[in-house]
Amino acid sequence: MAKVAVRPESQVKKEKKGRRSENSTRDDKSQVKEVSSGRNATLRKSKVNGQEFPEDEVHDDPVLDNVDPGLADVDGSASDDIHEVVEESDSSEDEVTPRNTIGDVPLEWYKDEEHIGYDITGKKIKKKEKQDKLSKFLDSTDYSKSWRKIYDEYNDEEVELTKQEAKLIRRLLKGKTPHAELDPYSTYVDWFEWKDAKHPLSNAPEPKRRFIPSKWESKKVVQYVRAIREGRIKFDKPKEEPRFYLLWGDDSSLSEKTRGLSYIPPPKPKLPGHDESYNPSLEYIPTQEEINSYQLMFEEDRPKFIPKRYSSLRSVPSYENAVKESFERCLDLYLCPRARKKRINIDPESLKPKLPSRKDLKPYPITCYIEYKGHKGAVVSISTEATGQWVASGSADGTVRIWEVATGRCIRMWEFGEAVKHVAWNPLLQIPILAVSVGHDVFILDTGLGGEDEKKKVKELLHIEAPTAGEDFANTTSPVSWLLDDSLGGLRLKHPKIVSSVEWHRKGDYFSTVMPADILEIFPPLYIALLFSVGSKQAILIHQLSKKQTQRVPFKLHGLPVSSAFHPSRSIFFISTKKNVRVYDLLKQKLIKKLETGLREVSSISIHPGGDNVIVGGREGKLCWFDMDLSSQPYRVLKCHPKDITNVAFHPSYPLFASCSEDCTAYVFHGMVYSDLNQNPLIVPLEILRGHSSSNGRGVLDCKFHPRQPWLFTAGADSLIKLYCH
Amino acid sequence: MPKHYRPPGKKKEGNAAKYMTRSQAVKHLQVSLPLFRRLCILKGVFPRDPKKKLKGTHQTYYHTKDILFLKHEPLVEKFREIRAYDKKVKKAISKKNKERAERLLAHKPNYKLDRLIRERYPRFVDALGDLDDCLSMVHLFAALPAVEREKIRVKHIHNCRRLSHEWQAYISRTHKLRKTFISVKGIYYQAEVEGQKITWITPHVLQQVLTDDIDFGVMLTYLEFYETLLAFVNFRLYHSINMKYPPILDPFLEALAADLYALSRWFATKSGAALLGSQAVSSSGSEQHDSETLDGQPDESEIRLAQLQHQLPSSEPGALMHLVEDAEGLDDDDEETKECKSLFKNMKFFLSREVGRESLLFVISAFGGTVSWDGDGAPFKETDQSITHQIVDRPTQVHKFLSREYVQPQWVYDCVNARIILPIDDYLVGRIPPPHLSPFVNNEEEGYIPDYAEKIKQLQAAARKHILPMPGVANDYRDDPQNLLVEGIISRTEASEAADRKQKMLNLEKQYHEELKMELQGVQYTPSTTAIRQSSIEDTEARVGSPSELDQTAEDTGNMAKLVMSRRERGLYEAMQISKKRKQAGVSLLKSRKRRLEEIWPSKLPRCREANLSTSTVIFVI
Repeated sequence: MAKVAVRPESQVKKEKKGRRSENSTRDDKSQVKEVSSGRNATLRKSKVNGQEFPEDEVHDDPVLDNVDPGLADVDGSASDDIHEVVEESDSSEDEVTPRNTIGDVPLEWYKDEEHIGYDITGKKIKKKEKQDKLSKFLDSTDYSKSWRKIYDEYNDEEVELTKQEAKLIRRLLKGKTPHAELDPYSTYVDWFEWKDAKHPLSNAPEPKRRFIPSKWESKKVVQYVRAIREGRIKFDKPKEEPRFYLLWGDDSSLSEKTRGLSYIPPPKPKLPGHDESYNPSLEYIPTQEEINSYQLMFEEDRPKFIPKRYSSLRSVPSYENAVKESFERCLDLYLCPRARKKRINIDPESLKPKLPSRKDLKPYPITCYIEYKGHKGAVVSISTEATGQWVASGSADGTVRIWEVATGRCIRMWEFGEAVKHVAWNPLLQIPILAVSVGHDVFILDTGLGGEDEKKKVKELLHIEAPTAGEDFANTTSPVSWLLDDSLGGLRLKHPKIVSSVEWHRKGDYFSTVMPADILEIFPPLYIALLFSVGSKQAILIHQLSKKQTQRVPFKLHGLPVSSAFHPSRSIFFISTKKNVRVYDLLKQKLIKKLETGLREVSSISIHPGGDNVIVGGREGKLCWFDMDLSSQPYRVLKCHPKDITNVAFHPSYPLFASCSEDCTAYVFHGMVYSDLNQNPLIVPLEILRGHSSSNGRGVLDCKFHPRQPWLFTAGADSLIKLYCH
Repeated sequence: MPKHYRPPGKKKEGNAAKYMTRSQAVKHLQVSLPLFRRLCILKGVFPRDPKKKLKGTHQTYYHTKDILFLKHEPLVEKFREIRAYDKKVKKAISKKNKERAERLLAHKPNYKLDRLIRERYPRFVDALGDLDDCLSMVHLFAALPAVEREKIRVKHIHNCRRLSHEWQAYISRTHKLRKTFISVKGIYYQAEVEGQKITWITPHVLQQVLTDDIDFGVMLTYLEFYETLLAFVNFRLYHSINMKYPPILDPFLEALAADLYALSRWFATKSGAALLGSQAVSSSGSEQHDSETLDGQPDESEIRLAQLQHQLPSSEPGALMHLVEDAEGLDDDDEETKECKSLFKNMKFFLSREVGRESLLFVISAFGGTVSWDGDGAPFKETDQSITHQIVDRPTQVHKFLSREYVQPQWVYDCVNARIILPIDDYLVGRIPPPHLSPFVNNEEEGYIPDYAEKIKQLQAAARKHILPMPGVANDYRDDPQNLLVEGIISRTEASEAADRKQKMLNLEKQYHEELKMELQGVQYTPSTTAIRQSSIEDTEARVGSPSELDQTAEDTGNMAKLVMSRRERGLYEAMQISKKRKQAGVSLLKSRKRRLEEIWPSKLPRCREANLSTSTVIFVI
């Protein structure tokens, strides 16, 4: 069968006609007579310009010829056409028979020959005379169609292409079909008609399976039927119910709370302020410098929104974070823990407790009245005499001075050559003696004040028989040696360690000394070993002046002792270590109470003249008031000073107490203790006393009340002593 | 032994029993984390803040009861079912069983959220109280583009648009809008519905920016819930004003993206047919209707509306009821609603092409004005002579009708916030309008009052005075408040000057007294000069005299009281002081900036003052 595509006849016809005209032109040009080459010339290649292209139109003719006459007869017009084609089949041979008969051999074989080949009779065909380039060029310029001329190397002649041929070639070069009329993708038309065909093309009998119902299909059907019956497959669309209805009817009867757990509604987003306006007031817009300074801020502090101003509504762009902020809000809503927080909307001033008027609590020291000048170094310690006439002060310049309170005159001075640590007057009026701690020594000095009787008494008191003392010293294991110091006119108690403070018993016979085991001090290593082996029991000693005896405290101390104090009326002894204060009964020799200060480091302690209240000053500037009857915890902690508290003091008769600190201030408080046990002490801060200046980073080092008047003495690191009066 | 050791057989107690971490909860519920998140969002379960965080501070804790609440939620089962169903569909698709897949998809199990909404908001007021986020989200999505990649479907966007318009239509219809504010982030609105203040933000009508760092899954879950919630809320609200929900809109107007107007038309035709002229909008609508029918070109939309009205049987029998109820509704209106309703009464607005239409349509009609716009479907044309205000947002207006005012859009918003008709001088075309201030700020509380806020306050006071007097004596009064106001302004400046003077005098007096005292003391004490006394005098003088010392003493007295406070109270007090200080710093920054601005343009602010005066007179004369 023909395997060639069959085209509709009309098209074929058109092609044939076109070709006919083509051929006629060719005939004119070629002298060689056209010879009908018969049907077998199916394929011929014309070599034009070295390019080959098949001429497949030619195939049509044999195909049509071979068609079954019965089929071809169906259409009369078609058969007419075929006849026409058949008649003109001679002219379909559109190629000039080659003059040269050498066949398809490489032409370079004849390159050096005189001839180009042989004609049909076997004679040599001579090469033509070659034109020189100039004449060629002239020819080409003369003849306008010379571009269409092609040199046929095979036949050694020049051929001029017709217009149609040139067109054909152009189309081929473009990769199109050579003839524009031809549709390469035409619809397929079957070559025979099925209509009314009596016999099938295939004569095979129908297979059996075509007549038997499918087993698998029936199974599937059963499955479907079952599924439909059971309602697994539904065909009708689900009914559209009204999606929205009145969800909340009359809900006034519902109570507020319906859920078990408390529902916390999310906090509402913050409402925008003036600065978020598209056109805010000019003062809301930060300057460029301010915007630049935001870069230096921490990420958290940096303002998230920078106000901007647009002159009109139309120039406002879309906000780039709109979606993001919405998203963040979503995250907040479902990720952030919610908690109810009470926000107090009150005036902060109302938080301050109502204090009794300070006017009602007068008198108390208010203004600096007198300054006592004379010391060269920081005044470390002061002490008032029992009558309130004299003040003794010890300074870091190694001197102890006695001043007249009323006039500010220095009446006596001792020089020790070493920094004075502590001075303390004997609390008895009859014995005007002064205890001074300097380095390792404690001096008991005769001040030489008072009348003749007193002087006599003091002389007796401060007398030691030298030999016996020596024996004693040799025999006993007393850690302190009592010596007579003639140059200063008093006693000298030599301690193994540096003495930090001296405190008198109320009766004036006993006094205690504290030797904090300061590791910073340069001891020989052996001594340190001894010190630790002895423990801190030795850190506090109690001396009896009348018997010139010294004894250790019979209690075990926990921690380093800072200071000690005698109870003002009973035989109770307070020892404050760095963390807490221990209260011992000296008669029963046992611990009564432990006061837990909660301070980092205790610096000073003072006992209320009533004996039931204690104030403790700490190094972090806190002052603790203990009510011994109440608890071992502080009744009130006052955070008043920004720096260390150096000393605290109670007034012996007025309800006053004071604290002084390194920040150059002294606070005066009203501290009323009631005899009624049910009433708590009343503490009212009264006054902040300033006036001292800081030197070497230290401020006020000591404060003491006047024994009779509501006056306060303060000793500063600026080598001044000040008296504040009411 | 661990710190919180529980002997075997002993139940957990306290915080350990009450709270569980999120991973524990997820394990307990046997759901995936995304599903857990979805459940939490839908059920409104949120983490809590236990006092003792037994599993560490970095965990989120849920209340055990909340988790049990989730556990018993039928939705969990439903989600499982859907998941199984999805697997079936997937299997069918992958087996190329298209028919089955389609059949399955047609019957996909669905879930509803109405029960959840009822559960979360047992009362309608609760739902209204929690509506802020819902509205903001829906309005945002109404402005978003549909992004298939993020699963933001066109369906969602359209639904959001519809819901937001329905809400706005209700608000504007019932005149419940209270405050508006154009911020850089969008336009804020505050409405008051059933005593609940509802604030929402709508983005500026522009292409929104979508960034990559957003998980739209979370947002869409929220949106799903919010859409349902808002639909139910709208239903209830429409029900309360005897309207059918969902409203059937004019497709012609809808196609023109004038949904809001279409809704208001719907409202008007539904109730306005019975209540002619009760509403500005409805009257204008019916007028328009008349004119159009007279012209002989029956609008398509009108026809459609008429058809729809015929289709809806509920409208006819209920007409009388509507009348009664509307009348009642009118009586029920509180003072504020009445005020809002009549703000733009008898004013006809026309929006130019460049003006944001949606927002202004909403706002103006909410305050009783009549609006039209440049475009198809508009109720009246630009050439309408009865237009009183044209809202324009362009640098110059070439063609001007003399019968109307040309103002910038900000004027409308400022009027709404001030609740008075502001003078239009500052808002004329081509001018930079005065600052737009937030109505949500309490200026007194903030401690800083911008100039324009003060001016508005004066105008408000003036307007109120103007309304009060009787018409007969109005003439006399007319001058009086003006004078008063002028006097007031003058006296304020005078007062400040006088105060300064007084202060100066006082200072001088004090100085004189001090000198006198010093002299006296000096005379008294110089003969017996003890250095100490002298110094003490000096000291006391220093204490009394110099202001720094005075400050010191004042500060000291403050500190004294602080000393006695308990630690907790002191902490609270200090925290309050810090916040106070921060606030003051903000105010002082603003003040300093203003001072600097005044230095740069000294002429600008006084001119503002002048304008202030002149405008106030304008108000009185009108």
